[in-house]
Amino acid sequence: MSSRRQTIDRPVVAPNWGRSSFYALIDRLALISEGRYWAYFLLIPSMILLLAIIVYPIGSGILLSFRTMRLTRPDLGTPFIGLQHYADLMRDPVFRLAARNTVIWVVLGASSQFVVGLITALALNRKVRGIWLIRILVLVPWFLPSVVAGHIWALMLDPRLGVINDLLVKVGILDQYRSWFSNPVTSLPTVLTVDLWRSFPYFSLFLLAGLQAIPEELYEAASVDGAGYWQRFRQITMPLLAPVIVATVVLRVIGLVNSPDLLIVLTNGGPGNSTQVLSLFAFQTAYTAFNFGYAAAISVVILLLLMAFTVVYVRVSGAAKG
Amino acid sequence: MGIFRSHRRTEQLMDALTYFVLGAIVLFAILPLVWVFITSFKPESDIVTATLQYLPQHITFDNYLTLWRRSSFPTLIKNSAIVATMTVVICILLGTLAAYAISHYRFRGRDRLMLFFLVSRMFPVVLLLIPLFVMMKNLGLLDSHLGLALAYSSFLLPLCIWMLKGFFDAIPNDLEEAARIDGCTRIGALFRIVLPLARPGLVATAVFVAIGAWNEFLLALMLTTSQGSRTWPVGLQLMVGEFQLPWGQLSAGGMISILPVILFFGLVQRALVRGLTSGAVKG
Repeated sequence: MSSRRQTIDRPVVAPNWGRSSFYALIDRLALISEGRYWAYFLLIPSMILLLAIIVYPIGSGILLSFRTMRLTRPDLGTPFIGLQHYADLMRDPVFRLAARNTVIWVVLGASSQFVVGLITALALNRKVRGIWLIRILVLVPWFLPSVVAGHIWALMLDPRLGVINDLLVKVGILDQYRSWFSNPVTSLPTVLTVDLWRSFPYFSLFLLAGLQAIPEELYEAASVDGAGYWQRFRQITMPLLAPVIVATVVLRVIGLVNSPDLLIVLTNGGPGNSTQVLSLFAFQTAYTAFNFGYAAAISVVILLLLMAFTVVYVRVSGAAKG
Repeated sequence: MGIFRSHRRTEQLMDALTYFVLGAIVLFAILPLVWVFITSFKPESDIVTATLQYLPQHITFDNYLTLWRRSSFPTLIKNSAIVATMTVVICILLGTLAAYAISHYRFRGRDRLMLFFLVSRMFPVVLLLIPLFVMMKNLGLLDSHLGLALAYSSFLLPLCIWMLKGFFDAIPNDLEEAARIDGCTRIGALFRIVLPLARPGLVATAVFVAIGAWNEFLLALMLTTSQGSRTWPVGLQLMVGEFQLPWGQLSAGGMISILPVILFFGLVQRALVRGLTSGAVKG
């Protein structure tokens, strides 16, 4: 090590100016690296970037929710209007509908994805042949972009050419092809099914990791004591998996609340606002109505709801654990 | 004896159940992709039919050729590749330094910093988007590759730091200390000992960031306004909306654009899964 280091510090070949300044820089860095602020020094670049692209935008976004800002009406300027947007939100019927749909979307979405993900993780955790290939195949939908995932299902559910319609009619469940996305009764459940397909692997992956971290000896000891499969699952698996479950559920709920991608691709909130959720409402307000101030207010409400959910959920699950 | 026999029967039952669940779940995950794959090789006459045609009458590459030659698809793919590369460079460069510092040093505010990275996921995209849009517009970065890459870093850099921290945590401190005793500077130890050991983790994280940037839709939809920097998810969506893109070509576009994802994912899935999970378990 020491000999190699010297070749860097004191080059044998007489350097030209450019090279020596490079080595001077290295020396200088090496000196800083011995100082007590080295850790902070390493963090500076990331911090500057994150300040510029997260902290500052979020801060000004929150401030913007107290102002008027409409790109289509530059004549209005950006006057401070206090809580006006929030008062308007309370009276906005679309907002209320979107809030209700968001709750349905999150509760049904997160629970269905969790249940399928957990069952899959339990199966993937058993030692069977070719399990590595199965693990890859199961994970694929999660790595697909929402645009492709959406159109794959739009193709399969097409009211005239959809293969799922055809299969359901052949099996005898349906008597004729359905238009799944343009019927207000079926639209939300259908998009939830598409998101189940795309997102259950997320739970499979992380719950599988949690399962693999549970020591084998615990199960062996329980078996010796005569515990059956169900008992072992309840007494060992669930308690030890609980921290992973809490973390994954929180992150998935955040994902479900915050990303309207799939809905933009599939329904755009329709028909008749039957698939309108808060994130999509905020996005449409910003992107198609260009009412930035109002959209910011909707987003702040989303943020507050998410924070409240996270605190309550983590508290309750912590209390339930004892 | 009785106990053992019933025990074995339960085991056999569980094995059967395992195979059933795995079979069903693999079909559920893969069949939609298989269907799109088949559709992409069907001529339009086999897609738009009175009775559904499961397999193509004859296989055609026309969908791929038309999409590639007649549309802006190659430009879109090129833009996405440039933006994804820029995002990876930004995130890995800055993320490595930050994750190394967080993993190896104890300093004030360390835990709070990690918490902030997690909490940053809670911020609604639109709340971030509006000021970013105004900011990029003022800086002249709207509708540019760099502007989009910077915007992507807002959600990928925190994730990248979390993942890399997991990989750095796995490298034993002894090796670095031995190098330090031999007279290596801290920066020397970072470049000669730590980074070479963390290379699989760096590659896996880079791939993860690349896939995230390649797939992103919402930020790109808002921050790109022209052909100059538009990425493929946005372009594909607009083509569907504006020109009623035929199913065959849409399927071909889907296959082309997920090919790199599946390829990269297959290459690094082992390290990637380890990286994702180590962060989750230590949570």
